[in-house]
Amino acid sequence: MSTRLKLISTRAARPQAVLDIKGVSQIFRVAQTTCHALENVSFQAGTGELICILGPSGCGKSTLLKILSGFIAPSAGKVALNGLPVFRPGPDRCVVFQEDALFPWLTVAENIAFGLKGRGLGSQSARQETERFLSLVNLEAFADYLPREVSGGMKQRVALARVLILNPKVLLMDEPFAALDAQTREEMQNFLLALWKKLSHTILFVTHDVAEAVTLADRILVMGKNPGRIRHDIAVTLKRPRMRETDDFHHHCKRLYALLRTGDTGGMQSCQNPRMS
Amino acid sequence: MNDRTTPYRLLSWIIPGALIMTWWMVSRCGWLPAYLLPHPEDIAKSGYAYVFGHAEGGPYSGRFVTDVIASLARVALGFSMAAGVGVPLGILSGRLMWMDKLLSVSVNGVRAVPGICWLPLSLIWFGIGMKTTVFLIFLAAFFPIYLNAAAGARAVPAILLQAGAMMGVGRIRGVFAILIPGAMSHLMAGLRLGLGISWAYLVLGELTGVPSGLGAVIMDARMSGHIDVIIVGIVMIALFGQLSDYLLRCLLRCLFKSARRTP
Repeated sequence: MSTRLKLISTRAARPQAVLDIKGVSQIFRVAQTTCHALENVSFQAGTGELICILGPSGCGKSTLLKILSGFIAPSAGKVALNGLPVFRPGPDRCVVFQEDALFPWLTVAENIAFGLKGRGLGSQSARQETERFLSLVNLEAFADYLPREVSGGMKQRVALARVLILNPKVLLMDEPFAALDAQTREEMQNFLLALWKKLSHTILFVTHDVAEAVTLADRILVMGKNPGRIRHDIAVTLKRPRMRETDDFHHHCKRLYALLRTGDTGGMQSCQNPRMS
Repeated sequence: MNDRTTPYRLLSWIIPGALIMTWWMVSRCGWLPAYLLPHPEDIAKSGYAYVFGHAEGGPYSGRFVTDVIASLARVALGFSMAAGVGVPLGILSGRLMWMDKLLSVSVNGVRAVPGICWLPLSLIWFGIGMKTTVFLIFLAAFFPIYLNAAAGARAVPAILLQAGAMMGVGRIRGVFAILIPGAMSHLMAGLRLGLGISWAYLVLGELTGVPSGLGAVIMDARMSGHIDVIIVGIVMIALFGQLSDYLLRCLLRCLFKSARRTP
C-alpha cells in the first residue's frame, strides 16, 4: 500500500467536528419492495475539511446528502451540526444541486442576493455583500443577466455564490459539475479549490468521478451499494495544487478504482422482492 | 426573427383588411340587402354617432360612455372577484393534496354545467342587472383562473422549493418569492382566459333587459331593427376585450418581475 494513501477507517474522532453522522440508515419502501439505500453510515467532518463522497450510482450518496441537508429524515441514526440535531433544511447547511436550481425570473445578482432577504440586513450592506460575492465568482459583468442567458459553468458559479453569501457551516455539493463538459468541469474544480483556499468552508462533495475526487479531496469516503454504506475512509495526502498528469495522481486513481470494484462485489443483494423470494 | 419589424406587423392586418374589402365590395354591388349587412360606411357613421354624438342626435347617439362604464364596471367586478378567489384557491390546491381532494369533485361538477344554465337561477336570486351579470362573470372566469393556477403551482419544479428551503425561506415568503413567480406563465394564461370569457358572459348577463351596457345595446338594437348598431356593439366589445387584455398584461408586467421576464 502506498505510504500516501492510508486507510483510516478506525481513526479517532477529529477534535473539531462540525458535522457528526452516527449510524444513519435509510430504508425505502416502494410497493412490495424494501430497499436499504443506506446502512449504518457514520463519520465526522472536521472544520475546513474538503471531503468527497465517492461511489457508483445507486449507492445512496445523494440520499446521504439529502439527509444531511434535512430534506429527508433518516430511518435510523442521528445527524448533528455543531452538536445540535439536524431535522430540517436550513442556511447553515447549504446545497449546490447538480441540476440548474437558480430562479429563472431573477438576474444573476438577484439570485445571489436571494437568501439575504429577511436577514435584517440593510439594503446598502446587502448590495455590498452581493457585489463582493459577484466578484468572488468573477461574474460582475453578468450581474444583470438572466440564468438562461449564461453558460452552465456560470450558472454553477452563481449557485455557489448564492449559498456562500449565507456563510454556511457546511457546504453540501451534489455532483455539481457532472452536467458540465470536461473542460468546464476542470475549470470549475480549480475554481472551487481557489474559493475554498480563500474562505476555507467545510465541504462535502458528492461525486462518481474518481479523478474529480482525487483532485479535490482531503479525504475520500468510498461508498458501495446494496446496501449503501461507507466501505473506506481514505486520506488523500497528495500535495496541492494537484496535477492530473503526474504518476502519483494516476496511482491514487488506480487505487480508488480497485476499491470501488471490491466495494461493489462485496455487497449482498438487499433490494428484495418478497413475492420472488 | 423580430416581430417588431414592419413586414411582420403588416402580416397580422392582411386578413382583417381583406375581410373589410370583401364586405365593402358585397355592399357596393348590392349582393346582400342592407337589412342583413349594412354598408361599412353606414356602420362607421352609426359608430361615430354612438360614440361622439349628442344625446338628442338619434336613438343610440351618445350612449357610448354610459354603456361602456356600466359594462366595464361589471367585467371589472366579476373578473376581480374570480381572480381574488381563483388564484389563491388554485395555488393551494396545486400544492396541497388535501385541498385538491377537497375541491376537485365540487369544482369539476360545477364546471360541467354550462354557464348559461345559471342565468335563470341568478335572475331569481339577484334580479335583473348588475348583480346577475357580475355573478355570471365570476362563475365563468373562475374556472380557467383556478385550474391554471393549480396547474402552475403543481408545475413549479420541486428543486426550486428545495433551494428556497435550504436558504432559509419560510412558507409565507416561499409562496410569494418562489411559488407565484414560478407559476407565473400559467397564472397569466389563466387570468387572460378568464378575462376573455368575462366579456362573453357580460353580454349574456346584459341580454336580460338591463338599461345600459354594450350587451344591452346589441339586444336593444335587434329589437328596434338597427343592424348597424348591433355591429357597432360587436366591434366595441372586440375592441374593449383586446384593450382589457393588453392592460391586464401591462399590469402584471408592472407588478411582477417574473411576468416581465417570462420568455
